[in-house]
Amino acid sequence: MEIVVYGIINSIILSLLSLGFALVYSIARVPNFAHGALYITAGYIVWVLLHAAGLPYVAAILLGLAATSAIGALIYRFIIMRIRGMEISEIIGTYAIGLAIIEGLRWGGLRGMTYTLPVFVAGSTEIAGVTVDYQRLIIVGAGILIFICLFLFTRFNRIGLALRGIAQDERAAMMLGIDSDMTAVISLAVGSGLAGLAAILLLPLGNIVVEQGYNVLIFAVAVCVIGGLGSWTGTIVASFIIGFAQILTETLASTHFVVVVALLAIIVTLLIKPSGIFGKQKQLEERV
Amino acid sequence: MRTSLALVALGLCLCITFSLPAVGAEKPIVIGAPLATAFLYGWDAERGIKLAVEEINSAGGVNVGGTKRPFSVEVIDTRDLEPSVPISDALLGVEKLILEKKADFMIGGPVRSEAAIAAMDLLSKYKKLSILTTGVLTPAYTQKVTENYSKYKYCFRNTSHVGVMMGELGALIEDVRKTHSLNKAYIMVQDVAHARAGGEAMQKSLSAKGWTVIDMKVYPTGTSDYSVGLMDAGKKGAQLLFIWMDMPESAILLKQWTDLKLKCLPLGFVNAAEQPGFAKAMEGKGEYLIVDLVNGGNAPAKITPWTMKFVDAYTKKWGLEPEGYGTSSSYMAVYQLKAAIETAKSVDTDRVITALEDSDLMGVYGRMRFDKKSHQIIPSMDPKEGAVTGIIQWQNGKRVQIFPQGVSEGKVMLPPWMK
Amino acid sequence: MEMARKERIDRGLKVRTEGIYAISSLEEIAYLVGPRLLLIVGLLLLPVILDLAPYWKRVVNIMCVYGLLALAFDFLANYVGLVCLGGALFIGVGGYLSAIFNVYLSIPFYLSIPLATVAGAFLCTIIIMPCLPLRGVYFAIVTLLYPILFSRIIEALNIFGGTNGISSVESFPSQYLEQYTIIIVMLLALFGMRRLVNQDVGLVLRGVKDNDQSIRASGINLTYMKSMAVFIAALMGCFAGAYIAHLYMWAGLSLFALDFSIIPIAAVVMGGGGTLVGAVVGCLILVPLSEILRAFGTFRIVIYCVALTGFIVFKSEGLMVYLQRKYHQFERWAKV
Repeated sequence: MEIVVYGIINSIILSLLSLGFALVYSIARVPNFAHGALYITAGYIVWVLLHAAGLPYVAAILLGLAATSAIGALIYRFIIMRIRGMEISEIIGTYAIGLAIIEGLRWGGLRGMTYTLPVFVAGSTEIAGVTVDYQRLIIVGAGILIFICLFLFTRFNRIGLALRGIAQDERAAMMLGIDSDMTAVISLAVGSGLAGLAAILLLPLGNIVVEQGYNVLIFAVAVCVIGGLGSWTGTIVASFIIGFAQILTETLASTHFVVVVALLAIIVTLLIKPSGIFGKQKQLEERV
Repeated sequence: MRTSLALVALGLCLCITFSLPAVGAEKPIVIGAPLATAFLYGWDAERGIKLAVEEINSAGGVNVGGTKRPFSVEVIDTRDLEPSVPISDALLGVEKLILEKKADFMIGGPVRSEAAIAAMDLLSKYKKLSILTTGVLTPAYTQKVTENYSKYKYCFRNTSHVGVMMGELGALIEDVRKTHSLNKAYIMVQDVAHARAGGEAMQKSLSAKGWTVIDMKVYPTGTSDYSVGLMDAGKKGAQLLFIWMDMPESAILLKQWTDLKLKCLPLGFVNAAEQPGFAKAMEGKGEYLIVDLVNGGNAPAKITPWTMKFVDAYTKKWGLEPEGYGTSSSYMAVYQLKAAIETAKSVDTDRVITALEDSDLMGVYGRMRFDKKSHQIIPSMDPKEGAVTGIIQWQNGKRVQIFPQGVSEGKVMLPPWMK
Repeated sequence: MEMARKERIDRGLKVRTEGIYAISSLEEIAYLVGPRLLLIVGLLLLPVILDLAPYWKRVVNIMCVYGLLALAFDFLANYVGLVCLGGALFIGVGGYLSAIFNVYLSIPFYLSIPLATVAGAFLCTIIIMPCLPLRGVYFAIVTLLYPILFSRIIEALNIFGGTNGISSVESFPSQYLEQYTIIIVMLLALFGMRRLVNQDVGLVLRGVKDNDQSIRASGINLTYMKSMAVFIAALMGCFAGAYIAHLYMWAGLSLFALDFSIIPIAAVVMGGGGTLVGAVVGCLILVPLSEILRAFGTFRIVIYCVALTGFIVFKSEGLMVYLQRKYHQFERWAKV
């Protein structure tokens, strides 16, 4: 029973981490390797607002989210926009920015393990005989809420529809008058906002350390590659697969191999079906 | 084109010349401190060293056979705890200290065991004396000195290591077993060599003393969910949870332990719990954790009269209580070096080595003597005999020394939900 | 109104050095040979000049190691179209193999280094071969993750010394041997690669980057060509790894460190991708810079990354391309 409960929790955690990355790639076709850095930045901004500026928690969260989205949009507008289309430059460029932010935060004082965010509701409860703490329940709830919101946003809201349009076929969308640069900025803002949301939900579980930025990036890339870069359902399905695979490895085999599982899964996927499970790229276009 | 090339070449030459050492700055005794300054185990040592140097210099300096010379500290960032940096960088840092900053003695690191062991060959090549004071918990370091004394006699270590720590933890656990009649244990360690070794050693020693060790789980660095292991421990009735983790995710483990209200006492070596800000950061979810701080004096305690003097001086200078586990040892290393230089009446490496081997100083965490063959500090449970460890329990948001009995300030408290 | 536009044309001297006329007079010879001679002689003299600052000799060694990696990256990315973000894989495999040969099998260093180079190159090619059919982005991601995967596997299975690494690897008997080995190998690699890309084989490889379907249509096996390119690059990388193992007398997990992947890329971007010399020049700048910036702690990484981003966004051609253009061509205003 614990496997099911904690498997679901961990899968939703993984999907929260990766949604931002998936969104940005599917819409703007930019692999945002600064994803991990934005995650940590959001956590740090909220911490600073909470402790140094003494704002109430809710206000700190909202401001932190807004700030992170703004940073994401600025990164796009001033840096990525100029190198759009050159994939390798984008990878190196976003990775360099992410690295600069992470190491900059480390140099600026985010060291040691005493930076934490408080949980929303303290305490724990029992679900089907398994003890779960409230924060994790909130994470599951929030995760499902975010999926629903994204779904509705991209089906029924004009901007959301524009984003979907650009994701499906950029040229056709541009012919209909949708500005591709504007949608890219919005998608990066939303993607960074999602990274920030993930940070706010997940960081209270542990503490804020800059190394998490690297880990988040690896997991996000793993999930997106397996699910198929460009497909949101794929991301969610893949995160469930990896989440359960990890829990099963831990219970049945040993804890040693949990991280190795994620990395091996990427390589296996790339060898067998490079476009991922639900990937939209056709096999032919994938030849080098 | 040729001008720009020439300018680039000129610029490079200028850069190199300006990094060369200034001539004639020989008067202070230069202490080189290779440390990973961006990390707890680096800056705790740096602060300890600087505090000691400041105290010694304001008292007049070191008496080298009649002349009083001050200490000066050159700290170099070895980056050896940074995840993406190779050890060769740390070794480059050590060489920079020796060749460019002309360090006379080395105190501090490198902090990572790999780097420290690799640096031993460097120190031997350049014949520089080094006192290791932080990081490096592996017994292999002093083993190498014993095996090849003539090559590695330059390497000393005044901080404890896994072998000694296991014995002390074992004694503490015996006390707990007798006092509270516990007998089931669960082990959770990080997937790094010294933690695994510690876990296996603990498993053997617990089984030998009559404990049932339910299971040992090894978590790779970066694991963010411990629910499976914790619930397994809870279901099988574990009463003692032995933890050995360096990674920040250990905070997640402790929070989950509190939330699940597991009926076991957490005990071990947890990097995250060595800072005074831990209690506030965890919002009280780290209470009752027993942490081995390796050497005494890294948290307020009354081991010797010097302990609280050191803690107060440190708090006054740096604004917070000592943290990590390299603080008191780095502080003492400077004093030990001073004593050795004054006995040897010179800064000649071989004479200071002999003086250091014979040194006998009553320090912050007990009597400080080195074993002549292995150059490891001699440990003991009695501060009058040797170096005492500092094992604390987080009680009411503070670190309270609970072991060894003779110098403890409080007793081991079980979490209230365990009764 | 008279309008003028800026025009770039080859210098007279350059034109006179094409073909057989390159040896027609001392001027032409000097024009061609000059920069190359400067590089070669400069590098060879560096250890001698730096006797004054012995610490910097070490930096030169490390610089040449990174230079080899940067050459490998430049070759693969700009001549074959394979962006391999995992230089650390080559170093790790080469280093571990060399240490294993030396410590476990007691093979002396002058055999273990070449053996490790060749064996390592084979191993790396076999490992990377399954990923070769992938598109650019995916290949980049996989190669970035390979070193991390390998280091985790070694850590998890606790083989080859686990987190402690393999120590007591044999060192070089003489300091001069230590330094000149790597400098000479790097120079050989540099000029060798420049030769290679202009040979028939090199042209086929460059064709793979430009239009791989046409290579396939010509009846040449694409995968075989790409594997050969990876093998050549891996040879350079594994030699660098084996060298480091013997330089520091130790091989461990941190041979798979991210730095070994990132700094060569930064060097190529800054030095100028596509000209193999740019890779070496980039390392010449970056590695000493890293040492000089050591005082700044982790801030130095921020400086690199900002500089790297700046180069990528604004001056993506890199230093050497710019310098070469200035050397070979000049600009003038021409009437429209």
